Amino acid sequence: MEAVLLRARGVSGSRSLATYLAAGGYEGWRKALGMTPEAVIKEVLDSELRGRGGAGFPTGRKWSFVPKDHPGPRYLVCNADESEPGTFKDREIIEHDPHQVIEGVAIASYAIKAKTAYIYIRGEFVRWTRILEEAIAEARAQGLVGRNVLGSGFDLDIWVHRGAGAYICGEETALIESLEGKRGFPRLKPPFPAVVGVFGKPTVVNNVETLACVPHIMTRGAAWFASIGRPRNTGPKLFCVSGHVNRPGVYELPLGVTFREIIEEHCGGVRGGRKLKAFFPGGSSAPILTAAEVDVKADFDACAEAKTMLGSGGVIVLDDSVDMVEVARNVAHFYAHESCGQCTPCREGSDWCADILDRLGEGHGRAADPDTLLRICRFSSEGMTICPLGDAYALPISSIVNKFKAEFERRIEGGSAPPQKKLPVLPWAGPRPGFGI
Amino acid sequence: MPKLTIDGREVEVAAGTNLIEAARAADVAIPYFCYHPYLTVVGQCRICMVEIAGQPRLALGCSTQVAEGMVVKVETSERAREAREAVMEFLLANHPLDCPVCDQAGECLLQDHSMREQRGTFTSHMAETRRTFPGLERRLLGPHIVQNQNRCIHCSRCIRFTREVSGTAALTYKSRGNSTFIDTFDGRPFDDPMSACAADVCPVGALTVREFRFRKRAWKLRSTPSVCPGCSIGCNIFIDHHEREVYRFTPRENPAVNATWLCDYGRFLAPSLNEQAYLYPHNRRTGGLVRTEWGEAIAALALELRAAGTLRVVASANLSNEELFLARELFVRHLKGEIAVPVAPGEPRRMKNGTGAWLHSTDPHPNSAGARRLGLDTVDADGLSRFLYGGAGLTLVLDAEAHPFLAGAEALRLLRVGATAVWVRREHPLAGVARWLLPAASLASNEGTFVSSTGAVQRFAAAFSPPGTVRRTSTGAMSPECPTIASPWGPPGEARPLWVALTALAREVGAAHLDLPDPRGIFELMVRSESSFAGIDWEAAGGRRQDESFRERQHVG
Repeated sequence: MEAVLLRARGVSGSRSLATYLAAGGYEGWRKALGMTPEAVIKEVLDSELRGRGGAGFPTGRKWSFVPKDHPGPRYLVCNADESEPGTFKDREIIEHDPHQVIEGVAIASYAIKAKTAYIYIRGEFVRWTRILEEAIAEARAQGLVGRNVLGSGFDLDIWVHRGAGAYICGEETALIESLEGKRGFPRLKPPFPAVVGVFGKPTVVNNVETLACVPHIMTRGAAWFASIGRPRNTGPKLFCVSGHVNRPGVYELPLGVTFREIIEEHCGGVRGGRKLKAFFPGGSSAPILTAAEVDVKADFDACAEAKTMLGSGGVIVLDDSVDMVEVARNVAHFYAHESCGQCTPCREGSDWCADILDRLGEGHGRAADPDTLLRICRFSSEGMTICPLGDAYALPISSIVNKFKAEFERRIEGGSAPPQKKLPVLPWAGPRPGFGI
Repeated sequence: MPKLTIDGREVEVAAGTNLIEAARAADVAIPYFCYHPYLTVVGQCRICMVEIAGQPRLALGCSTQVAEGMVVKVETSERAREAREAVMEFLLANHPLDCPVCDQAGECLLQDHSMREQRGTFTSHMAETRRTFPGLERRLLGPHIVQNQNRCIHCSRCIRFTREVSGTAALTYKSRGNSTFIDTFDGRPFDDPMSACAADVCPVGALTVREFRFRKRAWKLRSTPSVCPGCSIGCNIFIDHHEREVYRFTPRENPAVNATWLCDYGRFLAPSLNEQAYLYPHNRRTGGLVRTEWGEAIAALALELRAAGTLRVVASANLSNEELFLARELFVRHLKGEIAVPVAPGEPRRMKNGTGAWLHSTDPHPNSAGARRLGLDTVDADGLSRFLYGGAGLTLVLDAEAHPFLAGAEALRLLRVGATAVWVRREHPLAGVARWLLPAASLASNEGTFVSSTGAVQRFAAAFSPPGTVRRTSTGAMSPECPTIASPWGPPGEARPLWVALTALAREVGAAHLDLPDPRGIFELMVRSESSFAGIDWEAAGGRRQDESFRERQHVG
């Protein structure tokens, strides 16, 4: 398919406003300003655009939840806190085409009548923060953002806010807390951000890729967008393929391609002629799929049918040299490190899983360990926690244990597990020693 | 008002009530750790999971509001029970389970719930090394709070308390995930003026009060509803005591006054109630103080009262309404004396009530409002000096601690003239000049009512009869000092609440209508004869009973 979101990749000077304008940039923004906000929401609803951050919630519906009669300010937040392991698509968009994001932010702000928008960017993304800030300054100088945009009477300020390095701040309510200057703890819902969000005001939080789709929907129409992919799963999607493939990278493909196409056609197959063993379809928090499930379509509904999720589109490919116990261990350590510590099941369970998998990995497994892992995971997911981080660690681990139980059993028995290179695990942040009495 | 069914019981509660409170009304217990009625709902401990018919996921009892026709299953839902059991397992996975040496044992929510939630067959699946916080097992957070982070269940009640109630935001979480721990913001000492409430709200033994820990096991304590004597705000308290010794004050719920809080100043007045410097009535004769009997003292004092040319009575804003009323009726109306109530200046104190409003006080007495309501003159130090000046005749000081002026050189000079009778409990210079030295009992042995600065009449109950001379030996036998063996702990000693002495004096001087058997009788006479107290009910003035107060209510099972 033609490149939409990544059309600027490889174009020299693609980040500059002049290049963006020459390619028809900000046309969608001009068009939106000529419409009513309700009409903009209608257009996005018709396009069937679904959120690209992980949950796949229809974007137009999310916008329409903002109370129409709310008198005070409301906010748009662009979630650029891209931290999901195996995901690097937002960075790619900002790297090549920051104005695409800014235009999306502007249109979305207009649609929900927000006069202030924040781009919450991952703290480690220093370079991309600078790119965005430069692009905003350029757009502001051209009157595309700021007071009285393009003479329409609409005011819009866009601010870039850097996070401080917590995975949890990618969750929209934790992001809002962090944006307010607080500790990144997800909030108890309801109320949802669309009613009580940033500074207690109605807020819409959208992913970078979601917002990058919006200008194209405005210029080329909802029907065009809906014609890509398949019904209810429309539009182009960025897939970040990493791991044991010959050509890892970010690929723009229509929703509904199969993972086999992604891995074999676009990425040149598994490296070194090895066999595919398993893959994470949407970042490490999506339940793992085995080689037998490679024909699953890469879209929201097909993944849900396969009891996994498209998530952020971070496809992590594992070949047959991989020890699944180590994979589970690596995943467990990541989430134990990133659990915010609020809810009991996630705080205690993620760390407990990591401890069990450490012991198992060191060759001291017990027969009951797989069942204990499954029990911990069962009671950490499906609404046992405030935010989806409970599911994010529990579902992949339980899927690995369920689908590769034989490997766990072999390891427990101390059988023929091949010697493995250990995957790196994150250092543990312990408390500071106190003073006794 | 929405009607709902909880475990098969129909209940009707006000809209906006959450399921925990609604279930309590239906006599069904939903356990909780992080929920607290006067703090924001965070829903993070996850123990209050219940099943709501028609909802695919389990709901939280703390954050779910009642709705018309809702069908809630707590104990009857296997799914919810399993989830709660799993949460208990998670919480206990890293909890040290050091109950035998933990000072919270007996009043620990985690202990309560683990006894209640887990079936006899349940065993933990935990086989790993427990998480510990080296260096944080026994750490002084501030002057009154000792932290043991290993026991913490991360409910954030203490953090929310400092943010939402005391307003200092002194406590915070540090680190993340399973290594999250409680620390003071910036590492400064936790010197919040209400710091000990952080230990009150702590459901486990992670935060304990330095002054109380290891003094007495919680299950040995008896709680008596009372009113804090620290200032005129009149916070409702429990006096926690054992074998006639006061161990601590804890807050008793009262939304209009102190919600479930207590300031450190008031709380740590508790040990002062145990001080009893004077045990017997004494009479000063040539050659010094001579021990005497109450009967003798009352008879002799009554004779002096009848004979006195001038009678001046220094009452006190620390006395109960009943005692002030008796004093006024007896000494002013019957014996035609003069009475004054000294009121001293005090430190500013404040307390947050259940609506989040601060109540302020600079009055160090618990009952100056009651004295004013009874029409008694309140005087400052100058007024008291004038009142005592030129005093041949008889002067009664009903409470030596009524005003610091009474401990000063000027007061001692003034009171040396004529005859003086002094009711006194703790060491006091007035004891050196009094002709009659009468031992008074503490608040813990008295009963009566105070009027708070906001005008509420609040009753305090007697925790025990006044302490006396008995010292039990190490074997538990009574010491030889003990005159009779009247009760298991020995006779009550001879310090008596003031109202006992006043009713006895009333009988001796012929005011038989004031010779009433108990404070309630005096109160009822006062309600009948004083328009400012008309219509007030003795029972209602008692405030919340023990089982109604949040401290007890949260302990289910």
